Amino acid sequence: MKDQVVGSSPVKVDARDKATGATKYPGDLRVPGMLFGKLLYSPSAHAKIIGIGLADAWRVPGVRAVLTARDVPGHNGHGVIIPHQPVLAHDLVRSVNDVLVAVAADTLAAAEEALRKVKIELVELPAVFDATAAMAEGAPLIHPEGNILSHHKIRRGDMAEGWARAAVVVENTYRTQMVDHAFLQTEAALAEIEVGGTLVLHIATQYPHWDRKELSRALGMPEDMIRVVGGSVGGAFGGREDMTLQVQAALLAMRTGRPVKIVCTREESFHAHSKRHAMIMHYRTGATREGRLTAVEATIIGDTGAYASWGTNVLRKAAVHATGPYIVPNVKVDAYAVYTNNPFAGAMRGFGAAQPAVAYEGQMDEVARVLGLHPFAVRWQNAMTEGCTTATGQVLESSVGLRATMEKAGSLVGWDVSKIYG
Amino acid sequence: MARRRGIGMASVFYGTGYGNGFPDVSSAIVELHPSGKATVRTGAVDCGQGSSTVFAIIAAEVLGLQVSDITVTTGDTDNTPDTGTTAATRQTYNTGNAVRLAALDALRPLLDLVKPKLAVNTVDGLVVRGGAIEVRGWPGRKVTLAEAIAVAQAEGLTTMGQATFTAHTTALDPENGQGAPYWPYAFATHMAEVEVDTLTGMVEVLRVVAAHDVGRAINRAGVEGQIEGGVAQGLGYALLEEVQLDSGRIQNPNLAGYLVPTAMDMAVVESIIVEHPEPSGPFGAKGIGEPAILPVAPAILNAIFDAVGVRITDLPATPEKILQAIKLQEDRGIVK
Repeated sequence: MKDQVVGSSPVKVDARDKATGATKYPGDLRVPGMLFGKLLYSPSAHAKIIGIGLADAWRVPGVRAVLTARDVPGHNGHGVIIPHQPVLAHDLVRSVNDVLVAVAADTLAAAEEALRKVKIELVELPAVFDATAAMAEGAPLIHPEGNILSHHKIRRGDMAEGWARAAVVVENTYRTQMVDHAFLQTEAALAEIEVGGTLVLHIATQYPHWDRKELSRALGMPEDMIRVVGGSVGGAFGGREDMTLQVQAALLAMRTGRPVKIVCTREESFHAHSKRHAMIMHYRTGATREGRLTAVEATIIGDTGAYASWGTNVLRKAAVHATGPYIVPNVKVDAYAVYTNNPFAGAMRGFGAAQPAVAYEGQMDEVARVLGLHPFAVRWQNAMTEGCTTATGQVLESSVGLRATMEKAGSLVGWDVSKIYG
Repeated sequence: MARRRGIGMASVFYGTGYGNGFPDVSSAIVELHPSGKATVRTGAVDCGQGSSTVFAIIAAEVLGLQVSDITVTTGDTDNTPDTGTTAATRQTYNTGNAVRLAALDALRPLLDLVKPKLAVNTVDGLVVRGGAIEVRGWPGRKVTLAEAIAVAQAEGLTTMGQATFTAHTTALDPENGQGAPYWPYAFATHMAEVEVDTLTGMVEVLRVVAAHDVGRAINRAGVEGQIEGGVAQGLGYALLEEVQLDSGRIQNPNLAGYLVPTAMDMAVVESIIVEHPEPSGPFGAKGIGEPAILPVAPAILNAIFDAVGVRITDLPATPEKILQAIKLQEDRGIVK
């Protein structure tokens, strides 16, 4: 029986409200008695905190709460792999993502004024901003356990044989930059305490149930006393997986007993969420005279910034995807996630598989150029097909439509693909 | 010497889901109402990419209803079950499977209930479509879904179904990285056509042909929307975007200094949907979210090479870098 609805193109269920402006995002929410929250980010990327003077901030009329690390009742840290990114920094700051002070006031202007009156005394520490330098012996340590967060290895086949069988070896280093998700809607949260003491947090997030776990850990409050309501989300792309202002908004609401809303400016948003890992990727690719791949060796270094976020998993994904969609008998991959004092990097659309594509597809074109072959022909003959084995030894049993995508895309730009691959 | 055209190709694969043996679990609840309509409840947040619409389509298909008959409620820890993150290109596959199974679970008691009335010897002889439960091969004999739900509720039967789906993966061996870390894999090929101005180094992306194997398109317009968005974001990655740092401090934390593509920068996108069904996916589907961005930057870089003979290995491919590379090439006496 033919499907009735699957494969059609209905109007999106949220389209009408978004097109008319009826959709309420967390930043649009207003409730009686609501206070405005604001966060102070570190001006330094690596420094010891000597003192935080709050007296003048408290004197600003309309200020209801000024919080620092000592006001965090539970575990003062969050993070999807390692909960070590402070909710409010206590002894030192490791990046400009670190939040030092959270305030709540009757008006946004009063909250901003209070932040300007906070006196921060910092002593700069030796810092490292280059992932390769951070791996070297004697580099300033960002965390006591060392600057290498993770090292993933893929070993398949026999590299010596792979190079021996190669008629050509192409070697290049590729660099990709740090980028931001730049979603339309900046971070926003509204926290309120219900009668009975339940915390309700309205937040544009990718995962309300995870946010509840993080809130529970940092607030020292059981999960059944916390309700997270995922509001409408104006784009995420991986930038709403880590905590940004959830815990601070909740703390301010708990301290004041009043609803508290925090909305990031664009500048604050750039400091609040993760970034795409900048990567350095060194590749050696071997191929026969006919263009058949014999070996791929890749060393991938990802700058994960000052906190782990998803760094381990992102670089694991980079390693798994390092060969591209090709059958390669001999593979050696080393992928490192490395701490620096740069803004932290985490999930972003592609999650570590976006960067290696820049490298392995550059290599495929170079192999074609050196051998005088058509770029299509080199890709076609190495393409993964149903039943093939990947660099991790996985057999792809079903749904491998790669060659169909090559054929259709190539034909549409006028390449005579059947002639090219013979 | 002025504007030169080039075509670049890039192919990718992408393992969807959390991967590496991590619990990749989605749960969903489907509730049937005496009006003959249904509510889907899942924790899965729609970030604008269209997961709620996908769930409505899947529930409508299973229940023989229209998309407009389905209400999708999401993302509330008190009222919806945990479906994991909206990430990793996993909601269509993972939560889509849970929604499909939950809808079947909700239907099951109704089929048992109407089986004697419709005089079939097995519920396999029943088909749900057009708002009714009918006898397979004998469409005249049927009971409307609304009537069946009303009778079931009057008899005290539950008309709410629930289900959980977990994607299968294994952890990689820490020494040799061997294992089955993701499932399923998506595949794509993009062809970018660019024009490079050899005097200014400016790149104009004229056209991107984007072919994606999505297993099965649940929402065709939704898949095309994801592809077009992926091309826009990938174009920014290739040519424009960079968080500029000085001693770890962000120098351009604003949209005046951090350049994302505008409509004026955007290429013409021709989306091609390839459907090699994935047996474990809902109606054969696998995801499209992340794969859409992956081939864009390498296809553009390869097109720049085809146009002017310089290989940019350092993103973004700014006019300055391209001009410098062209000059270096000319100094060496190589002119394309």
